[in-house]
Amino acid sequence: MVIVLLKESILFAWNALIANKLRTFLSLLGITIGIFAIITVFTIVDSLERNVRGSVQSLGDNVVYIMKWPWTFGPDYPWWKYMNRPVPSYHEMTDLQRKTKSIDAIGFQIGARKTLKHLNNTIENAIVSGWSYGYGQVKSFELTDGRYFREDEAEGGYNVVILGNTLAEGLFPNHEYPIGKTIKVAGRNCKVIGILKKEGESMLGNTMDNQAIIPYHFAKLFIDVKSENGDPFIAAKAKSGVTNEQLKDELTGIMRGIRGLKPLADDNFALNETNLLSKNFDGLFDNIGIAGAIIGGFSILVGGFGIANIMFVSVRERTNLIGIQKSLGAKNYFILSQFLFEAVFLSLLGGIIGLLLIYLLTLVTDGVIDMDIILTRSNVILGLTISVLIGVISGFIPAYSASQLDPVEAIRTN
Amino acid sequence: MTKIQRPKSISIITIIAIVLVLLAFPMLFMPSIKKMGDFVPLILGVIITLQFISLIGIWHMKKWGVLLFIIIFCARVVTFIFLDIYTFRFYFNIFYSLLFLFFFIAHYRKMDSNL
Repeated sequence: MVIVLLKESILFAWNALIANKLRTFLSLLGITIGIFAIITVFTIVDSLERNVRGSVQSLGDNVVYIMKWPWTFGPDYPWWKYMNRPVPSYHEMTDLQRKTKSIDAIGFQIGARKTLKHLNNTIENAIVSGWSYGYGQVKSFELTDGRYFREDEAEGGYNVVILGNTLAEGLFPNHEYPIGKTIKVAGRNCKVIGILKKEGESMLGNTMDNQAIIPYHFAKLFIDVKSENGDPFIAAKAKSGVTNEQLKDELTGIMRGIRGLKPLADDNFALNETNLLSKNFDGLFDNIGIAGAIIGGFSILVGGFGIANIMFVSVRERTNLIGIQKSLGAKNYFILSQFLFEAVFLSLLGGIIGLLLIYLLTLVTDGVIDMDIILTRSNVILGLTISVLIGVISGFIPAYSASQLDPVEAIRTN
Repeated sequence: MTKIQRPKSISIITIIAIVLVLLAFPMLFMPSIKKMGDFVPLILGVIITLQFISLIGIWHMKKWGVLLFIIIFCARVVTFIFLDIYTFRFYFNIFYSLLFLFFFIAHYRKMDSNL
């Protein structure tokens, strides 16, 4: 019985919407824009967050970086003290490797922008990174072809290179097989032994697509290892079961010993962790999300007012019909559900159109920007939830007032 | 159909309560709520909507409005405890809901038992 009544009220609502197509379109436009605004913001924020977290994860979440500068600092940080700090060195890395017990792997990296050349193909300002052998075990990366350099190649400073995907495509444009070929790195011959898997753009700018990796002992022939320009750092990966805090404590003690710091002297190095970056981004994304929620919330509110207004008009127009229905035995809840369904239909339809527009937008942006923008399940659920609830909230008052009409007075109304 | 005269105190309290409920609606979009789970905004949204409906019932001096308000109040407290939300908003919510409930129950006998 209830199902039959519900079915009837849905049909009544549907017919009313079909009968006034322009009005239906205009009233659902408000909700469409509201849902489009709020879910677009959430979709972009979620996609940015996923991208940044992916970039941070590629740095390793159980890795501590020993550097000259900290990654995060407050407004009153003593930059003049940091300026005078020495840069980390390869020898400090080997000392640490010998003395620590908490590390699984440790490596050293230095970089510079140099020219790469193969026959007539030249890439200027390519990032050339000099890695110690151990850094390959700290940093996560994948090769599509070839191999990582051997320990003897790393220690002996062999002239071998692993190319990032973009560099390989630039130097070997006609689908040539790069492995085993010789290229020039900063004017020196170098044998290509590996190609890195394509990573795509990264929010942190740490993509390896445009990097050429060479052994540190080869890199130091043409990169000034004592200069800050090469941004040298030591990266230490904790053993399983060792927390970053424990690792940092141990590294601090040993580094202070290596640098001969007196007990009361400040550390002249920074220990950076990827979770410091994550924490900073958490706050940023939350703020963007709140701003989006406020902007979208107002859009939805305006859309809701539009639906409530149209429902009042609808009730006014059909007062006579309501009177006839009631006089023929229609219950209050039948009249109420009829108008409520109409409001929910309108709102849901608006929400679905808004979500479809966002989906189309994600398809369009897919080829334009080098970042995956995905309309997630949680955002679809949120969009549909908001649509239905706004429909109920904005439609309940007109629907309830319609259900409370006196049948005699309602029939008399013109 | 006779209409029951609505006391001024109920009118004022219902308006305040409706404003508070509508202000709670943007809470659904907050990133912190979204992070609790895909269906948490849906659950909280249903609670907010039903509370709004209960207030419309109370505005029309209907007993079902007060009963729905009590049910939703309990459901909200249970949901907040279940979701581990012990913020200032949670305690403030309980405080004003109980205060409103006191007024609603005081006028319960005068209300209409029809839908």
